[in-house]
Amino acid sequence: MASPDHPGLLIEALQRADSPERLLEATENLAAACHPGAALALVEVLGFNNPGAAVAAVDGLIALGPLAVEPLLSNLDGHNYGARAWAVRALAGIGDVRGVQVLERALASDIGPSVRRAAARGLGRINLEPLEASERVALRLHCLDALLAACEDAEWVVRYAVAVGLETLLSQLSAPADQRQRGLAGLSGLAAASEDTPVVRLRAALALERLA
Amino acid sequence: MVVAGDPASSPVAGGAPITEEEALVRLRQTDDQSLQYYAAWWLGKMRSRHPDTLPLLCAALGQRQPREPAAGVEHNAVARNAARALGKLGEASAVPALLAALEDEDDGLREAAARALGDLEAASAIAPLCRRLASGPAGAGALRTGSSRLEEPCEAMLEALGEIGQAHPEVIAVIRPFVAHERPLIRSAACRALLQLTGDPLWGDQLLELLEHPQLQVRRASLMDLGAAGWRPALQPICRTLAENSLKLIALRGLVEARASCEQGHPGDPDPSIADILAAMDDLL
Repeated sequence: MASPDHPGLLIEALQRADSPERLLEATENLAAACHPGAALALVEVLGFNNPGAAVAAVDGLIALGPLAVEPLLSNLDGHNYGARAWAVRALAGIGDVRGVQVLERALASDIGPSVRRAAARGLGRINLEPLEASERVALRLHCLDALLAACEDAEWVVRYAVAVGLETLLSQLSAPADQRQRGLAGLSGLAAASEDTPVVRLRAALALERLA
Repeated sequence: MVVAGDPASSPVAGGAPITEEEALVRLRQTDDQSLQYYAAWWLGKMRSRHPDTLPLLCAALGQRQPREPAAGVEHNAVARNAARALGKLGEASAVPALLAALEDEDDGLREAAARALGDLEAASAIAPLCRRLASGPAGAGALRTGSSRLEEPCEAMLEALGEIGQAHPEVIAVIRPFVAHERPLIRSAACRALLQLTGDPLWGDQLLELLEHPQLQVRRASLMDLGAAGWRPALQPICRTLAENSLKLIALRGLVEARASCEQGHPGDPDPSIADILAAMDDLL
């Protein structure tokens, strides 16, 4: 096995993989190495139409964190829906501010409920620490607006994820009062009788309880 | 069981959204059956409450058309979609028409009718369902000659008996033999129904075993069955199952929402709480 300083051999193994099982194994090995040089190779796996390997690649990219963001953003494939869907999941799991635009667009308009739910969860978990205070307020507002707009999503699991995203977003200290009010109002809407999926109502109610 | 995205029940992609009035127009005409097919689906999905909806769907149950494999059209497509829609509308007045469809020679229509009758919790369907299943795995559950289909759509019928929810000894007796059927999906449906009807953790444990079956299709079906039965002891095993997160989320929703009010697991093991289940769902998003 390659040492942590040389992912080259692991990448080669990935490129040579000639069966779904070998691809999965090679991806898992490369992901486990957690080496920055592996990011691009892992991003490529997202486009290979192998869900098992894609899951492993997403985990590996999330583990790499911010180092994986540029490779992900610069390889968003306009023609490969599956690859883009997995990329959204990876960006949602990483929580880097540079991914916000992609997540917003995904939540607003991706045709796949599983992509939209991942995006909703991700928008609640964006790491705003690296930003200046004013930028933080502005970006949090973006995330809040995107989540609030998605309270009307037709799929229950997306609205569930919105409740989770809103709770996470609001539980960060130093959210301005007006943003907090709007977020709580969104959650109240999801907790109300007008929401006809019971588990969404329950999750929103739990969020309100925890934020009180 | 019908999984979301089943081509037999999803709409044709593309095209502008339609109104209820347009859907009714399309269902009323009979020249273009593909329009009727879509309209029937639409009216069920949108939970249409228009006064014409129910009579039109019940009438559509009587429509017959040949199978067109080249066009991807199922046998009696309009009638089958009408049955599915009637199951979603929650109106007991549809039951007589569905009971008639349950006796049709088209087993796909019987399947859709059985599911709809289960959705409607139609007690009057218990006797005909039991009658059709009474011959057991070697009768109703046997392969039709020259086909991969069974004599009766057993999975759908077993699930319907579970959904209707009346645990008469005769019903239990009819379901029981199917837990030993050679097809795991049938076994899963039988265990689910028995779990729903009796609450006996023995049946839950069998479903947990099926969560580890080598075939993804079986694991998916058992996830759905545990969710439908709302069996909370299944929480951790569901989370660990090798299957798509989307299906696990559906299953966990079932654990939260299903009716079970009593202690479900083995004596001495407390059931997971709703908060536990929600936490697990959060992690699957």
